[in-house]
Amino acid sequence: MAYEGVPGLVATKEAFGETTLVVDAARLVEACAHLRDEEGFAFLSDLTPADYLGWGELGVAGYLGTSAGRDLNAPGSQGRARLPEPKPKRFSVGYHLLALTDPPRRVRVQVWLDDGEDIDSVVPIWPTADWHEREAWDLMGIRFRGHPNLVRILMDDDWEGHPLRKDYPVGGEPVRFSGEE
Amino acid sequence: MALRRKLPVLSDRPLARAGLSSERVLWPTKGPGVFEQEVERIEDALGLTTVEKAVAWAQANSVWPDTFGLACCAMEMISIVGSHHDIARFGMERFSSSPRQADLLIVSGRVTHKMAGPLRQVYDQMLEPKWVIAMGACASSGGMFNNYTVLQGVDKVVPVDVHVPGCPPRPEALMEGIIRLHEKIKAGIPPAYAIRGVAE
Amino acid sequence: MATVERRARIYEGSRIPSPIPTILQVDPDEHELEDILTVNFGPNHPSTHGVLRLIVDLDGEHVAGIAAVIGYLHTGFEKTMEQKTWWKGMTYPERIDYVSYLNNGLVWVLAVERLLGIEVPRKATWMRMCLAEINRLHSHLIWLGTSALEIGAISMLWYAFREREKTVEISELVGGTRMHTRYFQAGGLAEDIPPGFFPVTRDFCEQMSKGIDDYDTILTKNKIWLERTVGVGLLSAEDAIALGQSGPVARASGIDWDLRRNQPYLAYDEVEFSVPVYHGGDVYDRYRVHMDEMRQSVRIIRQCLDRLEQMEGEPWIADDRKVVLPPRHELHTSMESLIHHFKIVTEGYTVPEGEVYETIESPRGELGCYVVSDGGPKPWRVKFRAPSFVALEATATCMTDAAVADLIAIVGSLDSVMGEVDR
Repeated sequence: MAYEGVPGLVATKEAFGETTLVVDAARLVEACAHLRDEEGFAFLSDLTPADYLGWGELGVAGYLGTSAGRDLNAPGSQGRARLPEPKPKRFSVGYHLLALTDPPRRVRVQVWLDDGEDIDSVVPIWPTADWHEREAWDLMGIRFRGHPNLVRILMDDDWEGHPLRKDYPVGGEPVRFSGEE
Repeated sequence: MALRRKLPVLSDRPLARAGLSSERVLWPTKGPGVFEQEVERIEDALGLTTVEKAVAWAQANSVWPDTFGLACCAMEMISIVGSHHDIARFGMERFSSSPRQADLLIVSGRVTHKMAGPLRQVYDQMLEPKWVIAMGACASSGGMFNNYTVLQGVDKVVPVDVHVPGCPPRPEALMEGIIRLHEKIKAGIPPAYAIRGVAE
Repeated sequence: MATVERRARIYEGSRIPSPIPTILQVDPDEHELEDILTVNFGPNHPSTHGVLRLIVDLDGEHVAGIAAVIGYLHTGFEKTMEQKTWWKGMTYPERIDYVSYLNNGLVWVLAVERLLGIEVPRKATWMRMCLAEINRLHSHLIWLGTSALEIGAISMLWYAFREREKTVEISELVGGTRMHTRYFQAGGLAEDIPPGFFPVTRDFCEQMSKGIDDYDTILTKNKIWLERTVGVGLLSAEDAIALGQSGPVARASGIDWDLRRNQPYLAYDEVEFSVPVYHGGDVYDRYRVHMDEMRQSVRIIRQCLDRLEQMEGEPWIADDRKVVLPPRHELHTSMESLIHHFKIVTEGYTVPEGEVYETIESPRGELGCYVVSDGGPKPWRVKFRAPSFVALEATATCMTDAAVADLIAIVGSLDSVMGEVDR
C-alpha cells in the first residue's frame, strides 16, 4: 500500500506483509496527525524503540563475520554470507498504527535518531502513547519533547542508566557451582 | 536409623486399591526419608518440653499466610486455596492481607530490586514468630532471570525457612513445602530469623 | 464535600484527564485541598492483581485523584531474550503474562515463523487454536474468580478454580506441566497430541458449559453484583480507542473489534463464533463480555476437536530440519539428524533479517510482539505490546466519579496481569 500524502515521508518499505513508512523525525507529529485524521489510523498499538549499536559487527550475533564478508573457517559458521543491511542511525522508534476498518490496515511509522536527539511526543494525538513514551525514556533513554510527565516508569525512580540500551550490561550474578572453590 | 514412631504399611490400604500410587503406598518397606530423619534427630537434640510441644503443635496447625503473590507462582498459590488442593485441611485457608496478622510469608514469584523494599517492609511488619517460604525458582535463586533487575534469591533480604523448587511448583509441591514447614515447627526448630539472622 | 453520583449511562465526549492522560489530579474547584487524604494502595494489597501500586487522593469516600505506579515486577524479559537463542527464547514469553501463557507463547512463535517463512502443518494450527481457547478460558476463569472475590462474591473463587483445575490438567496432559508448557515451537508443536486428549477435553467442555451456567446463576442477576458493577468505571468508545484499549474492555464500550474475526490468524476464519459487544462501558458489561467469551471459547474448542479428530496421523511440526528438531529416534541412525540437532540446540537456528509486528487476540486484548532479527541465532530486539499495560492507562479515566469501593471493582475489571504490564 502506498501512503503518498504523509508529510515528511522519506522511504516506504514493504516486507513480511507489513508496510513501514520511514518519516523524518522533525515532521513526526505532522505525519502522525495526517495518518490519524486523513487515513483513519485512530489506534496506536505500540511504540517500539530499538537500539542498533553494534549492528552487523563481529561478535554481536556471534556468527556474522567481518566487514570483508563471512569467514567460513570460523567455528560455528552456518555459511551465511551476508551482513545485515546497515541502519541509518543508532535508535529507531516505531509507531505501530491500526485502522479499525474492515479489513484492518496496519502501518509502522519509523523514525531514526542518534543518541541525545529528542523527538516530539505524540501524546496529543494518541493519549495512549503516554506510558509507552515513558517506557521508551526509561529503558532506552529517548527523550520526548512535550511529554507531560516524562519520568521513569518501570525502573526505580533513582535508577541510573537505561537498561535496554546495548551498552548497558545484562547484569545479574555469576552462578556459583557447589563443586567449585 | 529406626524411627520412634512406625510409619504404617500402606500398600494394603484402600488407597492403593483405589489407584493411589505414591511411593509410600507402593513401597511397603520404605523407611523415613532424609528430611524425616533430620527432623527426628533435631527434635531429639532439642528435647522440647510438653508445653513447648503443645505450643509448637498449635502454631504449626494454624499458620496464616500473607497474600504475597507476585507472579506465576501466585496462580499456583491461589489454587492451593481451591477445593482441589485444599489448604484448609492444614488450617491455612485464612490468607491475611495485613502482614500484622500473618505468620507465613510465601514469596511466590520473581522479586525485583524495586519490590525488595516493600517485601522487606512487609516482612518487618509481621509479628514473631514468622516464617518465610521462597516459592519457586525465582524466589529461591532468581530463577531463569539472571539480570539487572531480578533479585537473585529472596534470601538476600529476608531469611527463608523453606525453598520450594519449580517453575512454577505444582500446588502439591507447594503443599509439600508447607507440610515440611509444619514438621519443622512441630519439631521445635526455631524460625529462620533466629538461626540465620536477619540482614539489615 | 462532593457526592458520588452513580451514572447508569455512558458519558458524552471525552473524560481523559489532562494534561496527563494517565493521572487524575485533584481539582481544586471541586474539593477542598485540606480535606484530601492521600492513601497508598501499596504493591502488596488484598486485591489479587499482583504488584500494582495506586496512589489515591481521597475526599471522604470519593476518589479525587489517582496515579498508578508500576514496575514492581519488571523482570527484564526483553533484554534477557536478546541473550538467548530463538529456540531457548520460547521459555520467556510464557512467563510474561502468566495467566494466558499459551497465548503469549503463540504470539512469539507466530512472529518467528513469519520471519522464517516456514509453513506450519494444519494439525499444529488447529491444536494451537484449541489450546489458545482453553487458555482463554483459563484466563477468564482466573479473572472471574479473583475479581468476584475482591468485590465480595467470595465463593466465586472456588467455583472458578474448580474449572481452572481442569484447564491446567489438560495443559499437563498435552505439554507435561500445568503452566508454562513450552508446547508451541517454531514450526508447530513440540509433540504429538497425546492419547486421551479428546475424551478429556470433551468432558471438560461439558463441565465448563455447566460451570458457566453456574456462574451466571450466581452473579448475573444478583442484586448486590448489579449494585456494585452497573454504572461503575465508565469508559466511552471514543476514549477507549484514544487510550488504546482492546479486548473485553473495548468490546464492553461498544467497539466491535476482535482480532480473531477481523484479522484472523491460525484458523479462526474456519470456525464459527460470535463476538460479544455491549455498549454500557461499565464493569458489568466487561463482566458480561467475559462470560459470553467463555461460552464462545467452548464453542470454538468443540469445533477444533471435531476437526482434529480427523487429522489423526498427520505431522504436528514442519519438516524443515534447519529449524525443527529431528525426532529422537532418528538420532540413533542418521548422522545428519544428529548434526542438525546439535546445531539447533547449541548455536540455534538463524532467522532471516527483518522486523515483524505480530498481533493476536489474547484474553486481555491485542497482544503484540515486535521482533527484529539481524540474521543471527539470537533476536536483536524483542518487544511485547502488553494489553494490560495499556489497560492500566485507562484507570484514571475510568476512575472519574468513583468511590473507594468502586476502585477495586474498576481495577479488577480492567483485567491486568502485572507480569505483562511490567515485563
